[in-house]
Amino acid sequence: MAYEEPITDYDEIVENCTCAFCGCNCDDLDYLVKDGHVVGVRHACRLGASKIMEDMDQRLIVPMVRDDNGELKEVDWDTALDKAAEYIANSIRPVMYGWSETSTECMKEGLALGEYIGAVLDNQATICHGPSLQAVQNAGYPIQTLGEVQNRADVCVYSGSNAMNSHPRHLARYSVFCRGFFRSRGRFDRTVVTMDPKFTDTAKMSDKWIGFEQNGDYGFYNAIRAVLKGKELSQDVISGIPKEDIYELVEEMKNAEFGVLFFGLGLTHTLSKQRNIDIAIKMVQDLNKFSKWGLTPMRGHFNVNGFNIFMAFETGFPFGVDFARGYARYVLGETNTIDLLTRGEPDVFLVIAADPGAHFPNKANQHLAKIPVIQIDIHWGPSTELADVVLPGSFIGVECGGTSYRMDGVLIFMKKAIDKPETCRDDEWIVRELKERVMKLRKEPNVAPEYIPNPAAQ
Amino acid sequence: MKTITFKQKKTSSIALEFDELIPDEIYTWGESDFNKYEVPIGNSRFPLTDYFDIKVEGEAESPDEVKMIINGDLNRVKYIGCKMSGGEILCNSSVDLHVGAEMSGGTIIVDGNAAAHAGREMSGGYLEIKGNTKEFTGASYIGEWRGMTGGEIIVHGNAGKQCGECLSGGKITVLGNCDILAGIHMSKGVMEIQGDVNRWPGGQMKNGTIVINGKLGRLLEGFVFDEVVDNPDIEGKVYDGRFIKYTGDIGLNGKGTLLINADVNRDKLGEYGESDDEYTSIREYRNL
Ligand code: SF4
Repeated sequence: MAYEEPITDYDEIVENCTCAFCGCNCDDLDYLVKDGHVVGVRHACRLGASKIMEDMDQRLIVPMVRDDNGELKEVDWDTALDKAAEYIANSIRPVMYGWSETSTECMKEGLALGEYIGAVLDNQATICHGPSLQAVQNAGYPIQTLGEVQNRADVCVYSGSNAMNSHPRHLARYSVFCRGFFRSRGRFDRTVVTMDPKFTDTAKMSDKWIGFEQNGDYGFYNAIRAVLKGKELSQDVISGIPKEDIYELVEEMKNAEFGVLFFGLGLTHTLSKQRNIDIAIKMVQDLNKFSKWGLTPMRGHFNVNGFNIFMAFETGFPFGVDFARGYARYVLGETNTIDLLTRGEPDVFLVIAADPGAHFPNKANQHLAKIPVIQIDIHWGPSTELADVVLPGSFIGVECGGTSYRMDGVLIFMKKAIDKPETCRDDEWIVRELKERVMKLRKEPNVAPEYIPNPAAQ
Repeated sequence: MKTITFKQKKTSSIALEFDELIPDEIYTWGESDFNKYEVPIGNSRFPLTDYFDIKVEGEAESPDEVKMIINGDLNRVKYIGCKMSGGEILCNSSVDLHVGAEMSGGTIIVDGNAAAHAGREMSGGYLEIKGNTKEFTGASYIGEWRGMTGGEIIVHGNAGKQCGECLSGGKITVLGNCDILAGIHMSKGVMEIQGDVNRWPGGQMKNGTIVINGKLGRLLEGFVFDEVVDNPDIEGKVYDGRFIKYTGDIGLNGKGTLLINADVNRDKLGEYGESDDEYTSIREYRNL
């Protein structure tokens, strides 16, 4: 890595800001501000710092609407909002996707709009930790806060997660290298195990690497549970791991004083999906008969957990909530964005603080190219190429304040450090404006009908 | 006996929801009632007659006396027969999600494939799918520990992932192959699979019986070899041939029975799992 000169040319330091990148929500950052721009970030990792230091080349500054020639043209806010509201008000199967990189306050407005119009509200969990949320509904949630991990954990297991690359400060700030009340020597007081088919950067710094074969997770965890129940393993090799290694691992896990399992998309998105997480949760529950164990999903976006917590609180369901019939429904494979798009159902798509153009499967994006797409975001991206209306929002935790939920469910307020560009608006304001305009165009809210087809049959 | 025939006029890209059009609700309806009825599509309702011509013949005193015949392309018609308790539905096409979900009685015949969640949480009745099914056939709703509790499902083709998830009663027969985790979390009932299963049937099962007549890919460590049985009798049905019997899933002290055809799965009778060669090479690799 090339040496970079420290930044000395700045007007002021804004202290104790919160990073708006990954689910660690590091809230110890200092922003170096010059002429109303963040020119440097202290304490953040490279991922967080590069996001926080604005890239004005790619910044969406003005509202735009796609004209008849297929070009995005600058318009005033009223024109853009009216056009977006018209699309939403006339839709039959609207989907409102994203929400993971905006504030919980904005989600509140989004839920009111979605419920009014009868939309599907979904977030990035549909392509990342959705299986974890489904498993939690089945098997429970033996979670602990990251503060407990820092102060108590002596065994940290990373399964299907390469935290060194995806959440760079996770190990330094919360789990491995940091010193804690009962772990005063930091790394020396902790054992780190990585379970991953790949020899990742996290595996390289671990004490033990369990390189089970790809898609072998379920069989592997099942074997651990069998050993915890006292069974002699009958197969020599399970999911690519010799049985002696499994016995050894189980002993280490049983002897932990405080163990934590961190799991990522390597576990949620292999063959058995939610059942991988289900059995991992059950394994943690089994381990609690011998020692103290907990788990935490390695959530990606800084507020992806917030949407799930918020929606579960408000509607009973964490993501993929469908209000089409006037009440909340949530069905795996039916009310999730990817399924809806690949089936070709949505007729309007609102994307806020997300980039489906970059992350969705080809077939889903092909459908997005056919229907009106409304984008609320701060950066130009592949989704902008698909968008028919572009509404430039503002950067939570930098240009405006807002609340978010860390990966362990701890609520964090992200404060404002600088002013947003004059032509941009807060996400919360944009969604509220859209809701008010949609309500003017579509007078009746979408509520469950009282009509019962055959009262005699009830 | 009342016969209601649906003839499709046009299809919709957004799925029609047929949960209100079940014999329990419409056994008293005449053609004029259907003409007034609006079917849910997305966040709106549209006249059913925009999509189907409906012919009603005969009279019915109860849902049991209703026969619905639905013709056309039903790939975007979901919740057919959802929550029905009697009568008969015949679908002359492949169908969309949730066919026969939560049904408690009656018969549904699908002359084609079924999308996911066919027969979800059904408690009675008979669901026959002449083609393949996708994921979660006879399974539970997310977070629910009880899937199908009664009745019978027959799939003539192949079944997708997690068929019979949380099966808590009744019987599922798959004449083709089954994808992973068939009968996962099963606590009662019988699953019969005539074809092959690629891996891990019966994960975390507590009770009930899974019979696999074809080749089994991988078996979970949670299953303990019990014995080899000839012509086992499962709830009155005798399965011809020799079967290896396992009990599991031991991970949760389960007492489920897994029977796999011994002739087709000879490798399971000798040593378990992967060959010695692979074992040795992995040990060597890890010792490097
Ligand atoms: S670890 Fe995550 S939250 Fe912390 S600074 Fe890096 S990107 Fe930001």
